[in-house]
Amino acid sequence: MYEEELHRLSVKLLDEVEYIIGYTSGTLPFRSRPFLCRKKEEVELLTFDHFSGSNLTRYLLSKDLREKKVAILAKGCDARTITVLLREGQIKRENVVVVGLPCYGMVSLRKLEKHFGSLRPQDFTWHLDTFTFQGKTQSIGPFLENTCQRCLYPNPPLFDYLVGSRVEYVPRERWKEDSLKRLEEISSEKRWEFFAQEFQRCIRCYACRNACPLCYCKECFAEAQRPYWLSPAATRSENLFFHAGRALHMAGRCVECGACERACPLEIPIALLPLKVEELVREHFTFEAGVSPDREPPLLTYRENDPNEFIK
Amino acid sequence: MVNEENWEPKIVAFLCHWCSYAGADLAGVSRIQYPPNIRVIRVPCSGAVNPLYILKALREGADGVLVSGCHPGDCHYLSGNYFARRKFFLLKELLRFLGIEEERVQFSWVSASEGQRFSQVVQEVVESVKRIGPSRKNIKEFVFHV
Repeated sequence: MYEEELHRLSVKLLDEVEYIIGYTSGTLPFRSRPFLCRKKEEVELLTFDHFSGSNLTRYLLSKDLREKKVAILAKGCDARTITVLLREGQIKRENVVVVGLPCYGMVSLRKLEKHFGSLRPQDFTWHLDTFTFQGKTQSIGPFLENTCQRCLYPNPPLFDYLVGSRVEYVPRERWKEDSLKRLEEISSEKRWEFFAQEFQRCIRCYACRNACPLCYCKECFAEAQRPYWLSPAATRSENLFFHAGRALHMAGRCVECGACERACPLEIPIALLPLKVEELVREHFTFEAGVSPDREPPLLTYRENDPNEFIK
Repeated sequence: MVNEENWEPKIVAFLCHWCSYAGADLAGVSRIQYPPNIRVIRVPCSGAVNPLYILKALREGADGVLVSGCHPGDCHYLSGNYFARRKFFLLKELLRFLGIEEERVQFSWVSASEGQRFSQVVQEVVESVKRIGPSRKNIKEFVFHV
């Protein structure tokens, strides 16, 4: 999508920045990988497609890039991440040039494989919110990542340059496919069974934490020795503790990009917990992470009429 | 041996130093009876209770957790309990979402003069935890290495 415009802008940008953090096609089909573009000759390698899911803002925090002036490609969720990182004082605004990309959602390879079996890249032609498979054009809606199906910000709220044209609809309203809502509708016993089963499978590789651009603590509570919160053993209760603890740490910060879920090698829907907390924050504290840079984060402030009924 | 009949819940109670702990103290000196199932941990303020403390207590085998602080507006540190309320709300809703019984984690506001009320709160908490029985969902499993 929008490659021509992207390449033209990148050539211009390389005059003022050292790197452009973007995507290039991966060695496997249906996969894009992060790519640091340094020279004007490399600009042609930059791509953006329906598989450019990685939240690149993670790289802004790396030691080597933190003090350099870089440009970064940012979808809606990534731009929200940048706002949160700025607010938390992790990056400097003058060091980052944000290239906004309106995004129609990222396609889940897992869902695609489940539906079409073995995939051949030449069978697919990708358009904006549709794709053509064996001559038949269909909507990408059912094949989007869970977090993309319930996305509220397809257009980046923050950018210096915008490539392509704005997405005219809100994905959550259009796709009406909400993994969180579906789970909320079943009984709490069923939900416990579901979570117990899912978390039992977690091997605690911490890929979710490492992929998350907002999990940047130098020492994670999961690995702290003092206090010793939890053991590294991958048992159900420890896993549950880890994921619930992480969700609480993300409260009012999670931008719902789904990086954790995409990174999970066991395909556990881990994003559900932070997403739930974010829904609560949205509903009860009327706050959305990374949307309004000037507002106080929800756990650093309070209102006298906050929910109180649950307290005796 | 603990069995189904003589099981008594173990409840961890985080009490704020300025209100609820003093309230518990008042219940004590006034000789007001309440069930001996709670294990009191005194904290400087309900705002000092990290939600992870609560998760940890549950994971280590507590059947219930009670967190009690000053009434809104009465915090010794002016606003600690308001901040706490937001954190507790998120924790409570998250646990509900996970399918953990709501009675396991309870919150209350008890002032230093409410000895009677403290005893009542503890009675209610103990009764509700007894009703749902021992915690099985989030206690630590032991890992045996072969």
